[in-house]
Amino acid sequence: MKRRSPHTIREATWLRDGLWPWLCAACVALSLLMLAALLTLLVTRGLSHFWPATLEEVTLGSGDIIIGQSVREAPLPQNAGLERLYFTGNREITGANWRWVSVDDITQQSTPNDLIRLERTPWGDFIGRLIAVESEGQQLTGQEAWDHVKNALTMPPSQRANSELLLATADGQTLRQPVSGISHFQAPNAMSWGQKTYVWGQNVWRFLSQGPRAANTGGGVWPAIFGTVLMVILMSVMVTPFGVLAAIYLNEIAHQNRLTRLVRIGVRNLAGVPSIVYGVFGLGVFVYGIGGSIDTWFFSDELPSPTFGTGGLLWASLTLALLTLPVVIVATEEGLARIPDAQREGAVALGATRLEMLTRVVLPMATPAMLTGVILAVARAAGEVAPLMLVGVAKLAPQVPLDGEFPYLHLERKFMHLGYHLFDTAFHGEDVQAAIPLVYATALLLVLIVLALNLTAIFLRHHLRRQRGNEC
Amino acid sequence: MTPPRLPLSRQPLRQLQDRIATGLITAGGIGVLMAILAIGVFLLWETLPLLALGDTLAVSRLAPLAWGTLKAAIAAMLFATPIALGAAIYSALFMSARLRSRIKPTLELMEAIPGVVVGFIAGLVLAPWIEQHLASALLLIVWLPFSAILAGALWHIAASRLRPRLPHTWAGLWLIPWLACMVVVALWLAPVIEQQWLGGDLRRFLDLHYGMDYVTRNTLIVGVAMGFAIIPSIYSLADDALADVPPALMEGAQALGASRWQALWKVALPTAGPGIFSAVMIGAGRAVGETMIVLMASSNTALFSASPFEGLRSFSAAIAIELPEASPGGLTYHLLILAALVLFIFTFLVNTLAEVVRHRLRRRYHRLGVRQ
Repeated sequence: MKRRSPHTIREATWLRDGLWPWLCAACVALSLLMLAALLTLLVTRGLSHFWPATLEEVTLGSGDIIIGQSVREAPLPQNAGLERLYFTGNREITGANWRWVSVDDITQQSTPNDLIRLERTPWGDFIGRLIAVESEGQQLTGQEAWDHVKNALTMPPSQRANSELLLATADGQTLRQPVSGISHFQAPNAMSWGQKTYVWGQNVWRFLSQGPRAANTGGGVWPAIFGTVLMVILMSVMVTPFGVLAAIYLNEIAHQNRLTRLVRIGVRNLAGVPSIVYGVFGLGVFVYGIGGSIDTWFFSDELPSPTFGTGGLLWASLTLALLTLPVVIVATEEGLARIPDAQREGAVALGATRLEMLTRVVLPMATPAMLTGVILAVARAAGEVAPLMLVGVAKLAPQVPLDGEFPYLHLERKFMHLGYHLFDTAFHGEDVQAAIPLVYATALLLVLIVLALNLTAIFLRHHLRRQRGNEC
Repeated sequence: MTPPRLPLSRQPLRQLQDRIATGLITAGGIGVLMAILAIGVFLLWETLPLLALGDTLAVSRLAPLAWGTLKAAIAAMLFATPIALGAAIYSALFMSARLRSRIKPTLELMEAIPGVVVGFIAGLVLAPWIEQHLASALLLIVWLPFSAILAGALWHIAASRLRPRLPHTWAGLWLIPWLACMVVVALWLAPVIEQQWLGGDLRRFLDLHYGMDYVTRNTLIVGVAMGFAIIPSIYSLADDALADVPPALMEGAQALGASRWQALWKVALPTAGPGIFSAVMIGAGRAVGETMIVLMASSNTALFSASPFEGLRSFSAAIAIELPEASPGGLTYHLLILAALVLFIFTFLVNTLAEVVRHRLRRRYHRLGVRQ
């Protein structure tokens, strides 16, 4: 008799199942595919924006010459063929930053090395050629001009020499540009790979460390990062003690009866209440209620312009603290419940009071669980935008909430937030086309922060479970 | 030997400290719980003035929003439930344990992706793409299940030497490239079909024959984006429920001659039914309350229309847009707070129901486990 191996038997049962399991397997594959597609999109589009893009000089059938960075192609609306979008800059001359060109219309296309790209403060980007630099009466050309500009850019704008750049656009118009208005200068076509990588790194750093410019279409997101981090820190300072207190009360002090069980279910369910509801509560109670009262009592000389009676850092972090309270309570309670009762009984049997038992035995054992809860709370708060729109986030905050002026931490000020910055730039910007690459970068940053926090929590919990497993 | 004793003079101090601390903890704990309770009380209190006005106005202002909320939630559930439950069934019962321990945390991380990011991708990337490739998008909905079945059929036909290389327990992983290829095929095929049968443009076809308008940011987009966001929560809970079914039940069914799929259908699903129900409920709760995705992926127009290609406006989006501008104490303010109250009560009830059902299920498993 022929014996069948276990593998073929297993395979045979699988064959009997028919095709349904394949549909289920495809569901897993599809979810993973969607997740991978989303992350790939964010990573490629978010990071490629900082790479110095090649500038093209294109001659059209009509004789027009344009210089610009090719952004994307799309099929023509009516007839067959493609059209290509160029970022051409020079808004003060052409009136627009963008130009659609039919691909069939292009007669000549080249990438000369002398094309430059400037980032300037009043008018946005300039793309064209550098003719000369006028400095203290003398004209520098060629390599000298390049060196002069490079030297000038190392200094802050106010201390730069009073020199001007003579620039030529694609169609031969010349214009003068004072050095003081330039923030960045590059000739991407002449760069080697090494130089491009260096510039890429510099651009990423500028994105992380500078404030937004030109109506959020350029510059960086530093104030938004700062605002997010400050708000999250304030929130964790508020949520940690109260969450832990509530968890200790529920698990260690309250009598375990029907009421406690109900309260526990209630707390757990609050984690599922939509965040916007917390925002409404924050607006109604914190901003209009408590904030309004504070204004009438302490800041009455500044009324009717509100001080605390409008959205601000304090109210935003309080609202998010309330929002994340269930997360911390649930995580801490899980940690407390996992501590064997023998530990508590042992401590009490040796003569410890309840306080001593809690602080010396129970809390140290539950610390990793609490930490997990707080990290999860922080991760949730960092990605939450909806409630903040009601209680204090700003499109563009002129003043950072932390500065050298007394009382240093200005709780009443509005602040910028990464998530809201993303929403606002993508949907309410003037030039959405130009802002999109930065929005991708912001989204990538936000996702990275949130995923990193979540991974930390997962590893911490995993570590904790293994440790407990060894002890028991 | 007697154990060393603390000097008697310190005993009352310790007792006092203990009493004070216990009191403080109790006060703090109860205070926190009261603060949480205050949310419901506040929402109720602020909607009381509406009672004086009579209910017709509130109903007429909020009804389109309620419809929008419902429509968005239904669209998201239609997209998410089959995928999440299918994934849960496969990962709980068919997938290799090693793969499952990797895949499950990955899918759960999906839940952490902020809504604002998903909304941005949906509103500014997916919506324009689907507007241009509507036929491809609709074809994909039919094509992907078909291609999964095709993969299964090919696997059955494949030589027995090839099968161990592509084990079925790892199908969740190696089907990814297959599906990706199939997506490419569908994208290539769609324009051909559109040209052949639909006169070249599906949107014009829909407009001519059914009078359907197409808006760039519509219910379809909201459904896909929000579905993506709620897949992980449904998946995770349903997978837990299915994986906790006592193995003896499944083994018994298989020993009596049932195939794995029959055992799943006749034994595991009925046993884990309440858990799956509560997973779907929690997903619905999330779909109803999600704000940023609806705000960014729908065109925020309060309409009464059942068309999947038209925009909508949900409670949460209306609150986010209108409440900052509404003057406190005004009519709009109270109406929006009523909307928040509806959201609060709905999600709270749905979650409580899910929690109670899950609790029952855990007791049932416990009983079954004891009898083993």
